[in-house]
Amino acid sequence: MPAASLRFTGLRRRFGRLAVLEGVSGAVAEGEALLVTGPNGSGKSTLLRCLAGLLAPDAGTVELTEDGRLLDAAGRRRSVGYVAPDLAFYEELTASENLAFFGRLRGAPPARGQELLARLGLPAERQAGALSSGMRQRLRWVWALLHRPRLLLLDEPFQNLDAGGEAAARALLAEHLAAGGLAVVANPSPLELGRAAPHLALG
Amino acid sequence: MPPPTSRSADWLAQAAAVFAKEWRCELRTRYALNTLALFAVTTLVVVSAGLGPLGTSAAEGTPVLPVLLWLILLFAAAAGLPRGFVQEEETHTATALRLAATPSALFCGKLLYGASLMLALEALVAPLFLALVQLEVAAPGLFAATLLAGGYGLAAASTLIAAMIAQARGRSALFAVLAFPITLPLLLLVVELTRNAVAGEPAGGALTQLLLYDATVTVASMMLFPVVWNP
Repeated sequence: MPAASLRFTGLRRRFGRLAVLEGVSGAVAEGEALLVTGPNGSGKSTLLRCLAGLLAPDAGTVELTEDGRLLDAAGRRRSVGYVAPDLAFYEELTASENLAFFGRLRGAPPARGQELLARLGLPAERQAGALSSGMRQRLRWVWALLHRPRLLLLDEPFQNLDAGGEAAARALLAEHLAAGGLAVVANPSPLELGRAAPHLALG
Repeated sequence: MPPPTSRSADWLAQAAAVFAKEWRCELRTRYALNTLALFAVTTLVVVSAGLGPLGTSAAEGTPVLPVLLWLILLFAAAAGLPRGFVQEEETHTATALRLAATPSALFCGKLLYGASLMLALEALVAPLFLALVQLEVAAPGLFAATLLAGGYGLAAASTLIAAMIAQARGRSALFAVLAFPITLPLLLLVVELTRNAVAGEPAGGALTQLLLYDATVTVASMMLFPVVWNP
């Protein structure tokens, strides 16, 4: 996997008078996962949305570099893999149809979606609306990895997963990091990520 | 020239994927189709029962009936089309779309879907309307061109407004406020052109103005959409 790095400096984001992020900084190098912890409302999800380019920070900078090229917010949106509780899919379509659609948007070959579906044990022909919450979380993982992103942004990534689902997701994360990928993992409590991960505590 | 692509998927493939997804979802739920058809047929029946061939002379029909035809199309479109982007926000699929799709390709796919839906609506409403009120069209070519260009204009305006209101509170009120200035010029043009078609008069400059309106709304939408869609 080609070189990539992430650095964010002095991020500030307010919602009205409520300051959710105040001067948050951090960096992630190749093959590294940054663990972000903090209680509910401490700004973990807001931080990830700022990093993904889904939310513009009021102040501060986000520098995601891939192949020596600094990506702007639009570039980050197209590039990152994102798993979050607020990520939903078309309930009328099957898991396979959802992945085929997003695969066409992201230029991923159809075989990639099928491979990931099989690895995470998802019923490909079941409508997304009929999936359990654990299966939806597996679908989020498949969706996030579809285009082989270099940066994975994972907001409570093991939420609702059973032991098998969590093991499969952890294996995919480990492969991603071993291949030189980057990850930012947000969770209310500390997580064991299989290697010494830098830690950012919010709140 | 289309904007830069995201990874290997090109812009046209993305727009085509969005168009196909919209129709696939619609054919599974039939929400917009049912809403449009039900609204259109109901208003058609009301109009034909109240102002049908027995209630309107030919002299009265030429100025009045084209207005009614476009009011039926306008309100049917308003009932079914604006959901495009609103539904993406309400069902939280907008996040995945923001991350995966090139904004202009997304807008283009949604616009093509809206235009095809309008075309289907017109194909249902126009013949029924002409038959029920027994209105004869002296220039069918101009009538068809007006329906095509007017329907596209309505779809383009509705898609743009839907994108603008999708993230706002009080969407219904905002839709009405935005729809008035954006659709008024279009409606004035299509009513004039339909009257000309019914009376067998030449289009004059109105058809050119209608095509310019369509082009302007399309170009403005492509430029505005990335701004209103992304943070």
